[in-house]
Amino acid sequence: MKHTVFLIACLWCWTGEAAAQVAVIAHKDVRADTVARSQLFDFYAGDLKFWADGTPIIVLDLKPKTEVKKTFYKYLGKSSSRMKSIWLKRMLSGEGDPPQAFKSEEELLQKVMLTPGAVGFVATEKVNEQVKVLVVIEEK
Amino acid sequence: MSMWQMVRSLSLCLLLGATAASAQVEEGELRLFGYFQNQFEYESDVENNKDDATTFGLPQLNVLMQKDLAPRWRSFVNFEVLNSFSSSRRWGAFNIEEAWTRYRLSKEFSLKLGLQIPIFNHLNEIKNRTPLLPYSIRPLVYESSFNEILSLEEYLPARTFVQAYGFVPYQNAKIDYAVFLGNSPNVRTVQDEGQSGVDTTNTFLIGGRVGTRWRDLKVGVSATRDEVNSFQAAHNELGESSNFSGQWSRLRLGGDLSYDDGRWRLDGEFIAVEYDEDIAKAKFDKRFYYGTLGYYATEQLFAYVSYWFNKEHFSVLSVVGDRLVVLSDSFDIKVPNLGAAYNVNDRVVVKVQLARGDIESNNDLVQERKFDVYSGAVSVFF
Repeated sequence: MKHTVFLIACLWCWTGEAAAQVAVIAHKDVRADTVARSQLFDFYAGDLKFWADGTPIIVLDLKPKTEVKKTFYKYLGKSSSRMKSIWLKRMLSGEGDPPQAFKSEEELLQKVMLTPGAVGFVATEKVNEQVKVLVVIEEK
Repeated sequence: MSMWQMVRSLSLCLLLGATAASAQVEEGELRLFGYFQNQFEYESDVENNKDDATTFGLPQLNVLMQKDLAPRWRSFVNFEVLNSFSSSRRWGAFNIEEAWTRYRLSKEFSLKLGLQIPIFNHLNEIKNRTPLLPYSIRPLVYESSFNEILSLEEYLPARTFVQAYGFVPYQNAKIDYAVFLGNSPNVRTVQDEGQSGVDTTNTFLIGGRVGTRWRDLKVGVSATRDEVNSFQAAHNELGESSNFSGQWSRLRLGGDLSYDDGRWRLDGEFIAVEYDEDIAKAKFDKRFYYGTLGYYATEQLFAYVSYWFNKEHFSVLSVVGDRLVVLSDSFDIKVPNLGAAYNVNDRVVVKVQLARGDIESNNDLVQERKFDVYSGAVSVFF
């Protein structure tokens, strides 16, 4: 019985670690305190290009297909490859550019900190006080 | 609103935009990119094998240049090469498809000025963007390499010069709109008669699209209206006293629907081309439909079945003495087909397609034919 309880506890801990908790972050000067899922999708799809105060929205992405990236795009309702098709269409029509993609969350975080109007996503534990958290996505 | 009021409003809008932009000029870098599609085709006559043919080719190559001129201002140039273009061998075609500047005021309003492909139905604007399309041979009237065989510009507005567009959010949906203005098709092509490439009439192409996007559904209706003076020669021959006009109104109507539920994708369109033909009793009406049902077997692999249908009326006009003689007829093209597209990576798409072409005609001018086309293509974005 003790072994079974221990095993269940281990499994619970393991699944807890696998779950990615993702923070949607923005440059600290961005006036918005939160962002709706549909609005976030419009940022990434290129339909919305400016914040309410006229600052250009700079969307950022991660290159590696990590759990964080999967969780973020699942939240948006499209897989990352389907989002790539949307960006390619906008790019070839001269209507938009794909997001700048970074090799690591640390690089992405750095870019958000330094770029007015920037928005991106990282694991919640990576967030610091120099960026603004707009949404926390919890996914199991 | 009169034409002059519209022009005045547009100029004012641009002037205000330019003033706002000049306060914080930030030029972007010149970006050079593009795409091409190489293709292999085997065509086999179903009823007799004497017309079998195989060919390699480069049906489409586009080089794009883009530069942000200032915040909210962008310029874009699109050079297009069709059908393995070679001027020394005298085949294929080279076109400047687009050269425009866009001012984006907001999501509700953007203004594009300069040579451009207008928004009409779902595919018109992206018909030549081969990496975006799963087809190696595009649905008939969208297949630019058929330009030498079919009168594609009868079905679709190929170019325009002023376009306003955007979308308005409404509850959970987006209402898309586009209105555009361009030349009539009466463009001078013979240099001996004066400057070529200019409209020889004072009429315009006017058109637009209204649609909605709601979740994964996209639907819209499109229309254009212009005046065609192809019959001016017959009119001149008959004289001013005849009731036969050399310039006819042409109306294009379109509808489009796309639905993507994650795994399945449905696309369909119709185009109807109507001529004002009451006087001559000639028929030039045209119809085109296509429907594609596709399935994403994996994120990389998309397989589909598709059906294209084309009905084209045509008339031969001749003047005998002081009488106009009109011979009218029609032909149908039906193309059921299936295919698949595989995204090897973000930049390379491999495509295969099998299409059966069936041309039905009961006149001597258009040859009846049934044929199969097997094609494979590689579309590359660079």
